[in-house]
Amino acid sequence: MRTTEILRLAQPRARRFAPGVLLGLLSALCAVGLLATSAYLITRAAEMPPILYLNMAIVGVRAFALGRAGFRYAERLASHDAAFRTLATLRVGIYERLVPIAPDGLAGTRRGDLLTRLTADVDELQNLPLRVVQPLVISGAVAATSVVTVWILLPQAGIALLVALVLAALVGTAANSLIAARSEQSIAPLRGAFADEVLDTVVNLDVLTAFDATDARLAAVERADARLTRAVLSSAAGTGVATGILSLLAGAASIAALLAGIPSLGTPGFDGPVLAIIALVPIAVFEVISSVPLALSALRQVRSSAQRIGSAVPDVVPPEIPVERAAVAHTAIDPSNAVIELRGVSASWPQESSPAIRGIDLTVSPGDRILVTGASGSGKTTLAHVLVRFLEFEGSYSLGGVDVRDLPLAEVRRTIGLSEQLPYLFDESIRQNLLFAKDDASDAQLIAVLDRVGLSEWVRQRGGLDARVGERGSLVSGGQAQRIALARALLADFPVLVLDEPTANVDPGRADALLRDLLSASADPAGRRAVVIISHLPVPADLITGRLRLG
Amino acid sequence: MKPLDPRLLGYARAARVFLAAGAVIGLAQTACIVGFAWFLSQVIVRAIHGQSLDELAPMIAALAGVVIARALLLWIAEVTSTRGAARVKSQLRSRVLTAVTELGPGWMAARNATSVATVTGPGLDALDTYFSRYLPQLILTAIATPVVVLVIFLQDWPSALGVVLTLPIIPVFMILIGWATQTVQKKQWRLLNSLSTSFLDVVGGLATLTLFGRAARQAERIRSVTEQYRVQTMKVLRVSFLSGFVLELVSSLAVAVVAVSVGLRLIDGSLGLSVGLFVLLLAPEAFLPLRQVGTQFHAAADGVAAADDVFEILDAASAGASATRSNAGADIAIVRMSDGPSAGALRLSGFAAGYDDRPVIGPIDAEFPAGSFTAITGPSGVGKSTLVAALLGFVAHTGAVTLDGHAIEAGATGLDWISWCGQRPGLFAGSVFENVALASRAPDRAMAARALAIAAADEIDLDRMLGVAGAGLSGGQAQRVSIARAVYRALERHSAVLVLDEPSSALDELSEARLVDGLRTLTESATITLIVVTHREALARAADSILSLEPAAMAA
Repeated sequence: MRTTEILRLAQPRARRFAPGVLLGLLSALCAVGLLATSAYLITRAAEMPPILYLNMAIVGVRAFALGRAGFRYAERLASHDAAFRTLATLRVGIYERLVPIAPDGLAGTRRGDLLTRLTADVDELQNLPLRVVQPLVISGAVAATSVVTVWILLPQAGIALLVALVLAALVGTAANSLIAARSEQSIAPLRGAFADEVLDTVVNLDVLTAFDATDARLAAVERADARLTRAVLSSAAGTGVATGILSLLAGAASIAALLAGIPSLGTPGFDGPVLAIIALVPIAVFEVISSVPLALSALRQVRSSAQRIGSAVPDVVPPEIPVERAAVAHTAIDPSNAVIELRGVSASWPQESSPAIRGIDLTVSPGDRILVTGASGSGKTTLAHVLVRFLEFEGSYSLGGVDVRDLPLAEVRRTIGLSEQLPYLFDESIRQNLLFAKDDASDAQLIAVLDRVGLSEWVRQRGGLDARVGERGSLVSGGQAQRIALARALLADFPVLVLDEPTANVDPGRADALLRDLLSASADPAGRRAVVIISHLPVPADLITGRLRLG
Repeated sequence: MKPLDPRLLGYARAARVFLAAGAVIGLAQTACIVGFAWFLSQVIVRAIHGQSLDELAPMIAALAGVVIARALLLWIAEVTSTRGAARVKSQLRSRVLTAVTELGPGWMAARNATSVATVTGPGLDALDTYFSRYLPQLILTAIATPVVVLVIFLQDWPSALGVVLTLPIIPVFMILIGWATQTVQKKQWRLLNSLSTSFLDVVGGLATLTLFGRAARQAERIRSVTEQYRVQTMKVLRVSFLSGFVLELVSSLAVAVVAVSVGLRLIDGSLGLSVGLFVLLLAPEAFLPLRQVGTQFHAAADGVAAADDVFEILDAASAGASATRSNAGADIAIVRMSDGPSAGALRLSGFAAGYDDRPVIGPIDAEFPAGSFTAITGPSGVGKSTLVAALLGFVAHTGAVTLDGHAIEAGATGLDWISWCGQRPGLFAGSVFENVALASRAPDRAMAARALAIAAADEIDLDRMLGVAGAGLSGGQAQRVSIARAVYRALERHSAVLVLDEPSSALDELSEARLVDGLRTLTESATITLIVVTHREALARAADSILSLEPAAMAA
């Protein structure tokens, strides 16, 4: 996905965005107006005119004071509301791009944190209207208004203010991108290396202690820390420069106004109060535009989030990912005839040069229980993903006598279910985690299926079907997660069920028992369901009818 | 939330330097604020009174000087705070890592290692903004606000009174609004939390949803949940934005009040213009630092939270150190006693161990004859790994351990009599050779190759480079390399006992059989007592004897 396309999704439409900008602009103008009017009020008052002449200024000062705070409050509400409304469009927009390629078409999908990062990145994009576009627009408008106002009062002072503001913009942008480049090039890799060292040390503390290696390890961490600190310190000198120069330019603008204004005192239309205004307005303007550097660094973060999303979501669906064909036969597969036939099947993952499996032959008929074994990396999971059409293949693969390429993807997945190596549990109750497999199931059916996978007692102890499983199933063990996943698959009543390494994340002591339980529970009473189980653990021979060894 | 935890000064000496420098810079910055307002108002007033540019030149030069000084100070403040943050972080990190190693694996077992690593690694980065933004602002507020108010008071006490009367409104309202926000948030915390994570939940479970044919209909759900999230969040924001509103309102109203009151007194001639303009320029400066502290509140909260996590570990370590100091003398005697290889039976009598006074295993009696191969089996949770951890000294035990008749205080780490391979591979970035010869006194390639062969991992090249946590190896390969590492240590240090905890859990049957062969050659060629904790029948069958731990033993 292109970065510009993503950024466009993140920016609210003008009609929604305008109120926030307008209110923010009013608030900023009130801030400038407050200082200008108060300066005018005081200097005019010193000429001791009748109080009548000052009433306007007095009212103005109070109004600007109230307006500045009030408009600002309204602005923040309006702009956050707009950003949240856009978030819905943005999330759905990205999600709809993910659906046809998920899970295997997402670049880097085999790394665990991809999706977590992706969602965090999508939510980070909210900051584009809030912290980037809006402050920039408001700063620009306030700067322009102020320059014009000062220019009308005294053209030279207006030009001086303009020059100072343009310089500030140039310096701010340049310094910002320089600092960013430096931190990306030298500091970020060192920071990453250091974090890795720390993680290695802490996670492997038992190993280090048992091998008396802690001291050497701490010394290595210390060295990585020293390298990082040196890089941070050497770039520290640069970070303050932009702030300093901005403050210098603000002062210079005031001084320039004085230098231009003092000789003009007494000329028509230019008196003491006007001098005070043109000398003080730059102070207020520079306070408003001090949000620009923050906006620029926010822009950098937003852009890198957009780039990460762009690189994770490919522009075109990779050839390794099956796409729904427009005109496919709408044949429904008869469960009693759900025979899988693979002949010479090869498959590869996107962006990987060599196929993960090659020339696989496999037949699975109703009632079969096939054990797939093989060393890690031999393509066991790849085979599972080919079976449920997450991955495209070469060779021939038919289901119930029909070439699967002629079947809708959904039909294949209605027939063949997969219980994943790391089953995903939604942060909901146990009931919700089961119901989405069969939304009209009664509680009695749910209890019955939990009983089959050996969980009914555990669920009762936890307080019934409403017990929560925690974020990503954090409240349940690996074995329980597998059992819940199997219960889910049983509810959906797939004619063919693929179990991918159900013991991968399970305490070794419980693995054998779990495997046995899962295999016996996955049979349907009529013995028609076919099961393909992928496992590196030995499986009792009486529980299987055939084997396939990969690699 | 405490704005500044005194423990920070205690644990990180660099923080004291930082605070001292911050105070000096803050004082100088305050002087600049006052000087700028003074010179600017003077130049304007004198110009109005008719002085020419030439007459005003020294004054304008002084103003320029203040502007330059102000810019320089901002730069210095930024540099000091970045340096301060880096130094304090380094000090805290090195202290906390030392503390973690002192607390040891037993302490770590009760915790989530990744979160401890996050606390000590990236977690401390939250201190960056704390040091570079919040603390300098806090110091500046503590100095500038009173000084500015004092200067205003000396010039024109009624204006100072106006400022002094409005200033306290800010903290009072901030606290009130903070409470209100918390109440609103708490009321719907659960809802907000689940709404904010539900997008992640849908995207994270996308594969599962696709498998069940539910992916397409989630778009509508995302839309409605996000919409709900907006409605609920806006409820909270309406209250929490009030604090910003009060801040701005009070500070701008104070300026307006000062301007109007000064203006009115100028008209009746009771006040000079120079004083009036000076006070007008200073009045907002009394509020500005306070407002900025308010906007840095979140940075502060994150920083304090990060520091809190670190202090918790440091406090635990210093509590632990004073508790164990009493029996330090015993350790030294034991190290001497078990110097050098000793080949004899390992005997446990009345041996029991557990975490935090919660017994997990024992008491049991067991004997492992010299050079024997014993498999320890038993259901999960019976305490097999705890037994191993106690032998290694990661957890405390009671009862006696003797090796060849000599008493051994299991737990005195740094002893060569035992070598061990745990359930997790625990490999490091670096070459396979560096991993196998971890902490070796004289790394020996031939011995490493032999260890790999024993661990059925001879197909793995010694020079192969591994990534962080041994990335690049498959699960089974990583497990065999970690076994080889334990074997290498046992060979190099002539350990009497080699303990392998679930060494074949990630291996298929073929590799497991090769591992058994390798271990057999090891026990035949060296007098080594091999203890293997396992659930795999094939491995248990290969042992000379089986020590089966039953849950009943646990109940005793």
